[in-house]
Amino acid sequence: MEAKKRNIKKEIQEKLDDEVLRGALTRFAREYPLAREKALANVEDVEALRESLRDIKRDTVAHIEEVADTFEAEAVKRGVKVFRAANGAELRNYILNLCRERGVKRVVKSKSMASEEVDLNPDLKEAGIRVKETDLGEWIIAIPGHKPSHMVLPAIHLNRYQVADYFSKELDKDIPPEIPLMVQTARVNLREEFLQADMGITGANIGIAENGAICLVTNEGNGRLVASLPPIHVVIIGYEKLIPTIKDAVPILRLLPRGATGQLMTSYMSMIAGPTPVMVKTDGAWVEKQKEIHYILLDNGRLDAAHDDRLKEIYQCVRCASCLNVCPIYTLVGGHVYGGHTYAGGIGAILTAFLSGMGEFEQFNELCIGCRRCTTVCPGKIDIPGLIEELRQRSVKEHGLPFVMDKIFSVMTKRRLFHSLLRAASVAQKPFTSEGLVRHLPLFLAGMTKDRSLPSIAKVPLRDRVDDVIKKIEKPVKRVGFFSGCTMDFVFPETGENVIKVIQDLNMEVVYPDGQGCCGKPVSATGDVEHTKKLAMNNIRAFEDLHVDVIICACPTGVEQIRDYPHLFEDDPEWKVRAKSMADKMEEFCSFVAREYERAGRLKKADKKADAIKVTYHDSCHLKRVLGIYEEPRKLIESVESYELVEMKDADKCCGMSGAFGVQHSNLSIPILKQKMDNIENTGAGVVACACSGCMVQLQGGIDQQTPGKKMKHVADILAENIRD
Amino acid sequence: MKRTCDNWRDKLPAGTFDSHLYEEFELRAKNISAEVFRVKRADEAREIILDIVKKTGARSVAVVPCPLIKASGILDALKDNGVAVHTEQADIAEHIPIVDIGMSGVEFGIAECGSVCQNAVAIESRLVSSLPPLHIAFMKSRNIVPGIEDAVGIMSEFFTEGYISWITGPSRTADIERVLAIGVHGPSRVVIFAVDDEEVA
Repeated sequence: MEAKKRNIKKEIQEKLDDEVLRGALTRFAREYPLAREKALANVEDVEALRESLRDIKRDTVAHIEEVADTFEAEAVKRGVKVFRAANGAELRNYILNLCRERGVKRVVKSKSMASEEVDLNPDLKEAGIRVKETDLGEWIIAIPGHKPSHMVLPAIHLNRYQVADYFSKELDKDIPPEIPLMVQTARVNLREEFLQADMGITGANIGIAENGAICLVTNEGNGRLVASLPPIHVVIIGYEKLIPTIKDAVPILRLLPRGATGQLMTSYMSMIAGPTPVMVKTDGAWVEKQKEIHYILLDNGRLDAAHDDRLKEIYQCVRCASCLNVCPIYTLVGGHVYGGHTYAGGIGAILTAFLSGMGEFEQFNELCIGCRRCTTVCPGKIDIPGLIEELRQRSVKEHGLPFVMDKIFSVMTKRRLFHSLLRAASVAQKPFTSEGLVRHLPLFLAGMTKDRSLPSIAKVPLRDRVDDVIKKIEKPVKRVGFFSGCTMDFVFPETGENVIKVIQDLNMEVVYPDGQGCCGKPVSATGDVEHTKKLAMNNIRAFEDLHVDVIICACPTGVEQIRDYPHLFEDDPEWKVRAKSMADKMEEFCSFVAREYERAGRLKKADKKADAIKVTYHDSCHLKRVLGIYEEPRKLIESVESYELVEMKDADKCCGMSGAFGVQHSNLSIPILKQKMDNIENTGAGVVACACSGCMVQLQGGIDQQTPGKKMKHVADILAENIRD
Repeated sequence: MKRTCDNWRDKLPAGTFDSHLYEEFELRAKNISAEVFRVKRADEAREIILDIVKKTGARSVAVVPCPLIKASGILDALKDNGVAVHTEQADIAEHIPIVDIGMSGVEFGIAECGSVCQNAVAIESRLVSSLPPLHIAFMKSRNIVPGIEDAVGIMSEFFTEGYISWITGPSRTADIERVLAIGVHGPSRVVIFAVDDEEVA
């Protein structure tokens, strides 16, 4: 499917300027993590529960056809009619035919995202059928014809005044903007719809194969009414909702409400297996008869996903939206910029790729900043950022890169040319920035932006300084290769010098091969595997004959990227071995030094000097959530007597940089940085520490513009201050 | 009346009443705005219900009778007070849209989340618990399972077909500005009587 070309930058700006939306999302982002944590307080082992949900879904998708066959057979045995819809058109036709055959004039719906995915309502309306959404949020957004901006809270982008306007319009009378009154108004108005409907349509949160049952997890009570009052009940359920047994529902029922709304259980959980009685008035008398139930099992791309080695992970999604609720980008701009589709946010981007085509995906996949915060809350433990990167790779493989990026990346793989450009940039920063191409180059060529200055290229890069810093060590205990990465090399060479000093202070010998270059992350993040491979081969060659015991990098992205090199060469056994040899030696600076300090008895909390400087530590997303390193940097700081560590709020929330993202989407990056700077300011610390050069670029920029009195330091800078030359 | 399972009590874990479990159930249920009354004998519920009727001005009640409700003697008491009582299926179906209070039994409670589990295969049991603004539920105070896992475990033993509802406090929404509002499409009040009396079957 070809997607309509959108001006996504403009759409983002509109959302950023929408004060109602910004206010609602800011409050939500603040309150949600607390509500979730409180709801999980009486779960003894949250991790184990998440793992069990993941494992159940994983096992299910491995034989999804078998599970679906059982589900269908058991449902049919109990009197349910089951239809498998390959796509939206088949689903819509089935329901339209059913309406025609049974003379259905009025339909009530409780929430079914799958029905929105396939655009059911317009067809029903065109056929002259009265269709009413009964979920309050869905009912509200149906009035102006909006798409849901959140999977659980579809009308979160509206405030009470806007809602009151829509109510007034729909009911043709003046409705004041009082929430309880509006809720009661909706109750009264929709009551008639329930009682008079000929057909009820619901989704399903779970489908159970062993007894052909479905589960509905709802709060308002509309689900129960839609499933109980009309004589015909149609259930629209995607294959990903199926599980083999009743007991498999346990982790879903325990995690879904807690993650979605911070509830221990929603107001109603209904498990329905087969037709149940319904009351029908015939010739003025009420009689009981059996309800007619139809299950529509919707494919629409799901079965292809099930057989895709990476993307079958989407079956682990239970649509709780907790990933959106912690996403720094979603909580800035809301769901509509993700293409105005049914499913928003990072997970929405992935689902949309399957359900609406890659064309749609390509337009907004870059709205994932890769901070991985979502992976810490997802009940199904889905690697959302990883899947987005995978899809980007496929998209690049199929359609290639935009011309400009292709040119730039090809320059980057020619190390000497690239580095001479960087050197030239240190002299002529301004002219470079004015060229249209340059904003796609690594961020430090982008020059100044509002509310954040981007650092300039150092006059003398680290590679030209190392000879003055590297000392001959007598009887070194280890020979250490130092991979600096471009940012430390060309923007923070002093920090690079300090890394060398700290390592040498451990009586280790440092080697800095001049042949090293870009780790490849900015390139691989766009999905360009071929150029990434070239960059990797360059670094592997530079380090492989040095006979080092270990390779150190003081930037988590570099560590992660180099450890991932072997995966680039799955089809090339020779290079795979060479890549693995480098990857196996890769160590992150803080964790390496902390271990060595520990061994030497130096890692204890120092007695603080009276005039110790307050320092607050920012967790880099990738250092904490990919490498799992967050205690070591803190312990290292605590080991220095002239610094006192004070924690900031949300220390592990993204600073908004994330490689090229911060430059490409500066309008998103800056508000995220602002939150970070406020949290830093509130600690009263004079120094901000971190252990990632990408974050340093961002935080230094924020300090320059917003709190010029503060200093930005890498943990290596702090440690080196205590070392006598 | 159709039931999913006729011998629920056999499925509940044996052993003596665990008062901690009950207390946790009561706390969690109250946390989500259910009103919970623990009574020794079913008839102690009578005065409390009559008081609710008086305060709310309720004029009609739809009831799916269960042994505890019968033992409470509430139906006669309501009639004596001039309240219309509907207990027959067709009668319930006719009046349920305008009835003030629905009343039914529930099978067991779940301590982890303060939910009650209702065998809802009979249409009238769903009608009385979902349409009126107030739902009164009777249960045995000893019939509490510790967690969701236990509740699902019981269901997995017998639930082959039918309709089960877990009810957790009143109907609610946060769809406008994430402000909690009670009583959207279902009851705005849920009153639970947990009866100690072991004599009633």
